[in-house]
Amino acid sequence: MIQKGMWWKLSGIILFLYVLWGGMTIPLRPGITSINPSSAKTGDTIELKATGYNTHFASVRNGRAWLKLDSVHAIKALNWQSENNNEVTFRFILPQTLPNATEVFPLHLIIDNETDGAFVHPNALFLSSSTDTLSFDAIPWTKHELGQFNDHQGIQFPYRSILNETIRNTFFHVALWFAMFLLLIFGVVYSIRYLSTSDYEFDRKASAYTNIAVLYGIFGILTGSVWAKFTWNTFWTNDVKLNMTAIALLIYLAYIILRGMNYDQDKRARLAAIYNIFAFIALIPLVFVIPRMTDSLHPGNGGNPALGGEDLDHTLRMFFYPSILALFLIGKWIAELTIRFERVKDHFYLKKS
Amino acid sequence: MNRISEIFLKELVVEFRQKYALGGIFLFSATIVFLVYKVFNQVSGLEWSIMLWIITLFAGLNAIVKSFVQEKKETYLYYYCLFDPLELITAKLIYNILFLGLLFISILIFMSLFLGFPVKDPALFFMGSSLGLTGIAIILTFVSLIANSEQSGSTLMSVLSIPLILPIMMLLLKITAVSLRLISDTSVDQDVWMLAGIDAIMLGTVIVLFPFLWRS
Repeated sequence: MIQKGMWWKLSGIILFLYVLWGGMTIPLRPGITSINPSSAKTGDTIELKATGYNTHFASVRNGRAWLKLDSVHAIKALNWQSENNNEVTFRFILPQTLPNATEVFPLHLIIDNETDGAFVHPNALFLSSSTDTLSFDAIPWTKHELGQFNDHQGIQFPYRSILNETIRNTFFHVALWFAMFLLLIFGVVYSIRYLSTSDYEFDRKASAYTNIAVLYGIFGILTGSVWAKFTWNTFWTNDVKLNMTAIALLIYLAYIILRGMNYDQDKRARLAAIYNIFAFIALIPLVFVIPRMTDSLHPGNGGNPALGGEDLDHTLRMFFYPSILALFLIGKWIAELTIRFERVKDHFYLKKS
Repeated sequence: MNRISEIFLKELVVEFRQKYALGGIFLFSATIVFLVYKVFNQVSGLEWSIMLWIITLFAGLNAIVKSFVQEKKETYLYYYCLFDPLELITAKLIYNILFLGLLFISILIFMSLFLGFPVKDPALFFMGSSLGLTGIAIILTFVSLIANSEQSGSTLMSVLSIPLILPIMMLLLKITAVSLRLISDTSVDQDVWMLAGIDAIMLGTVIVLFPFLWRS
């Protein structure tokens, strides 16, 4: 029943279904979307209202919260009062004094309970001194021990402000680029092999792999565009990576046009192979060097974090790497079908003439 | 070396035999500059730099299209027997780079005649321009090799070469903008090095790939 060479096609499909299922159904970790008020003065007693996302504030046991200053200084909330699952109000009595001489302190809100686990909202509250003369005393800040935190249950994707649910696009947008680059490498390797052997089979392969890579590039732009609409509020920005991809796509679309010219087969194959190699080499500074030299809105540029830390934690990795593999295998499958079609077509024409 | 200079001289002789074509390219650039002058009347630094490079790009495209297209198939066969491909491509590249440089200088003269010369940092400007022109000439030579012996040669030529030239163009426009003091950038040296790096990569690739192209 299962034919030879079928296992990788099947595994590609299964992996992609796994990514689709997991990437779309696994919930995000709880997080805080907004805090009110956002600033306070020393000595105030404040009612801090936090609005959460994917949280279970109303039904939790043993809920606690802190306003944290740094690794040793924090104050604990006096009560936990919530009407529904997404809203909670804490009362904090802010000490009269600041722990050291700075005018404004950003305080981070830490919330911990048994259902949601512990999570942090950085720079939740800006605390400034109520008096002109700065007096500082660390004692009221150090007596609140943070203690043991609860872990959240099950697999959840990280909650990142601004990104929110769109973090799932990592499995499609980013993975498409990785798969595209793998396919391009295959294409250029086959082009080199064509030049050294003059076997049309390699020309067909190079062309098929490059074509599917261009298709992936277009999908990558589309998914990126949608993502940008939700995070940067625009479909297209003057970002260096966007410009460079646009150029790269133009170069490869020119390749497709060149490959479609009405030359004789030998010449067409040779020119296409040479152009493909040249284009690939021209792509390297475009994709790997210039974007690294300029600021970009993308992760990994201009001080933004890249594939690491909390942006790609182990839960995302569980789907991100399989997604690259799945997309690559599906691309290889499509390329294989194109190659077979082209092979039959060439064979047919050869017989006819 | 001697043979390279011979091929180079041959190119020069062939070019001067077709005085009309040569004059046509220079007249083309002069006309375009005059058109720009009449359209804009007053040109700011930004527009000046953009127009300079756009005109250079298209004039260069017109000029280098014929660097391989102009010759007949029989002549090619003759060359094939006569020269080593490495010597031929070196001579062609040197010729095209110098030709594009000459074209650029003439466009620059026309532009400064009609529209002024707003460059504040000539050293950077000419450094960046010469590197950029080298890169453009290399790419155009390479693409004209691919697009030769085909009726739709010049369309294919612009389709293939413009995307390849775009990154060089972006770096060039930035370097020009810095040398015109339109923007200030302390890391402009990096861009110049980048341009030199792209040139080196392109040059290496063309030299490696030329023998394969040459076999037809």
